[in-house]
Amino acid sequence: MRINSKLLAVSAALMLGHSAPALAAVNVFACEPEYAALAKELAPDASIYSATTALQDPHQVQARPSLIAKMRQADLALCAGAELEVGWLPMLQMKSANAAVRDGADGMFYAAEHIDTLDKLDKVDRTMGDVHAQGNPHLHFSPTRVLTLASAITARLKQIDPAQAQGYDQRLADFERRWQAAIPRWEAEAAALKGTKVIAYHTSFRYLFDWLGMEQVADLEPKPGLPPSSGHLASLLERARQGDVKAIVVASYQDTRGAEWLSEKSGLPVLVLPMSVGGDDASVDLFGLYDSVIARLKKVN
Amino acid sequence: MNAFRLSVLASSLISAAAMAQTPTLTNPAISAVLDGFYQNGDRVLGGREEGFGLGESELAISANIDDMFYGKVTTVIEVHDGDTELELEEAFIQTLALPAGFSVRAGRFLSDIGYLNNQHLHTDAFADRPAAYRAFLGGHYFDDGVRLSWVAPTDLYWTFGVEALKGEKLRAADEHGEREFDTVGVYNAFTKIGGDIGDNSSWQLGLALMDNRNGRLTPYEEGEEGHDHGDDAHGHSHSAAYTGEKTYVADVVYKWAPDGNYKYQHLTLSGEFFRVEDFKAAMLHEEDHGEEEHDHEHDTAKDHHQGWYVSGVYQFNPNWSAGLRYGELETEEAHGDHFHAQDLKETELSLNYHHSHFSTVRLQYTRQQGTNFDGLNDDNLITLQYVMTLGAHGAHQF
Repeated sequence: MRINSKLLAVSAALMLGHSAPALAAVNVFACEPEYAALAKELAPDASIYSATTALQDPHQVQARPSLIAKMRQADLALCAGAELEVGWLPMLQMKSANAAVRDGADGMFYAAEHIDTLDKLDKVDRTMGDVHAQGNPHLHFSPTRVLTLASAITARLKQIDPAQAQGYDQRLADFERRWQAAIPRWEAEAAALKGTKVIAYHTSFRYLFDWLGMEQVADLEPKPGLPPSSGHLASLLERARQGDVKAIVVASYQDTRGAEWLSEKSGLPVLVLPMSVGGDDASVDLFGLYDSVIARLKKVN
Repeated sequence: MNAFRLSVLASSLISAAAMAQTPTLTNPAISAVLDGFYQNGDRVLGGREEGFGLGESELAISANIDDMFYGKVTTVIEVHDGDTELELEEAFIQTLALPAGFSVRAGRFLSDIGYLNNQHLHTDAFADRPAAYRAFLGGHYFDDGVRLSWVAPTDLYWTFGVEALKGEKLRAADEHGEREFDTVGVYNAFTKIGGDIGDNSSWQLGLALMDNRNGRLTPYEEGEEGHDHGDDAHGHSHSAAYTGEKTYVADVVYKWAPDGNYKYQHLTLSGEFFRVEDFKAAMLHEEDHGEEEHDHEHDTAKDHHQGWYVSGVYQFNPNWSAGLRYGELETEEAHGDHFHAQDLKETELSLNYHHSHFSTVRLQYTRQQGTNFDGLNDDNLITLQYVMTLGAHGAHQF
């Protein structure tokens, strides 16, 4: 089916008088910018589109026309999974009528299915807020998990585009070498952060804190998905006054008002961290994102 | 009987909903919608009634059937005038793997004409659908039939679809039950295009044409009582009160959020225009042109109905949103061999509190001003409503 559609595309291009490349570039649809960035490392020649930016909360995305149009053309969709995109991705799959990216197809890649997520829940009830039974989906701040994902994505790329399998293997080896070299550098830089206690918005940086040995002692959200309420903020102020908390951490797509109120009352600094690639000027790729996040955290310590 | 079935549905829901998250083999997505309200008057054209009441309580089950088909069943339980009605709103299959952007949906489903029609009622920002929907589509139009859709492989979203439907709900009134209706009565063609403007805004335009083989009125017989074609004749069925052979729908929607981040603030502007043409029975039509002496004081020569609305909804923060909607409707009501021109204007203001993404409490004010509508006594309506969803709630449309 895929080969046929490619042949069709090539012959259509020829009929229109264009000189088509022998093999069309793989079309990648990334649900979040971190997966677009990873795809860029592993398949730099691919045509890559990110459905969201680092300033957009991936829980709350509109299944908008442009995304349906992009999904329609995708050979491979890269998403976090664990229900992060449950409010919009199924609608895109349904409306785009693209068999290549339906669930279970080679072209539909859910990161959470390839790694161990943190905070899996045996029992999920909506009184607990908007929680995910399959664990925390914000998993791109775990460098070892990113390595696992890189090799799983490469396997998919090779399935979808076997003609360039060798090239994908080379790109993966190159990425793994650079990433494995960066991990000890990051860990050395962040060594002083071990044991640092913060208050944060949502569990967005769960994997980062887990990796660097930091501790999120409280959440600005009273329940996952619910905005900070005044009553809850008052209880956080009590917690902050115990004196062991170093900062209030907010992701680039989160509202800072609750954090600013708490900061004003408690004297703790507010730290807005880029949630993904593109979240600040330094976060041009995954390496830049990790560099930037660690540099920002170190400033308050 | 119905009560028994309801309790079976309810108990299967309760046991499954606690676990239901991502649909799996043993665990399809099961969701329910609870909708209750108090209103201080009756809304015309099949809207909510005075007093305490329930809106559509909905129970839906959906899952992939296999790697080729997806299926969904939505039952709706409504209470009107003390009667509990169990209705099947959706029971369809849809293909998942046709080539080249094609898909087929078959069974009972929401027609894809207009902007609101294929959306579920509980996602609306107002208590009732606009008057044009209540007049021409019976609130929301779901029917038995088949749809073929195609999505273009372009960066500009472009989809095109055709539907063939039973059209029983959109049949013109037939007093004597003698008329031979076409069994496939409604053919729809629709197209939608859409895209983004920068990171902040998105838009969609839609056009639809409905060809209703049974939309023209049944010829009037001399000496008969006029066939009252409005609310009274149809009670609270989901049938359209006004039909015609051709319906044209144009819709536009624009959404905006700062940085395209819908979590905190966002704005939705939308508008739709309906024109329903060719409803006069062939015989009446002739008379209008041929016999000049046929001169009733209420009669008009117009052979179309028309309606439109514009709406703006703003979410100030995750807890609060407000909406403003204005709509007009111009219809012709059959009275025997002549017609009465009707006119309705609705101005609506809604204020919504969302404790979470799954619960909404709404206070709505409606000013309805009309001429020649039965049951239009109160010009000012206040509606207090809750709409809540439980279970594995599916993704929303744009």
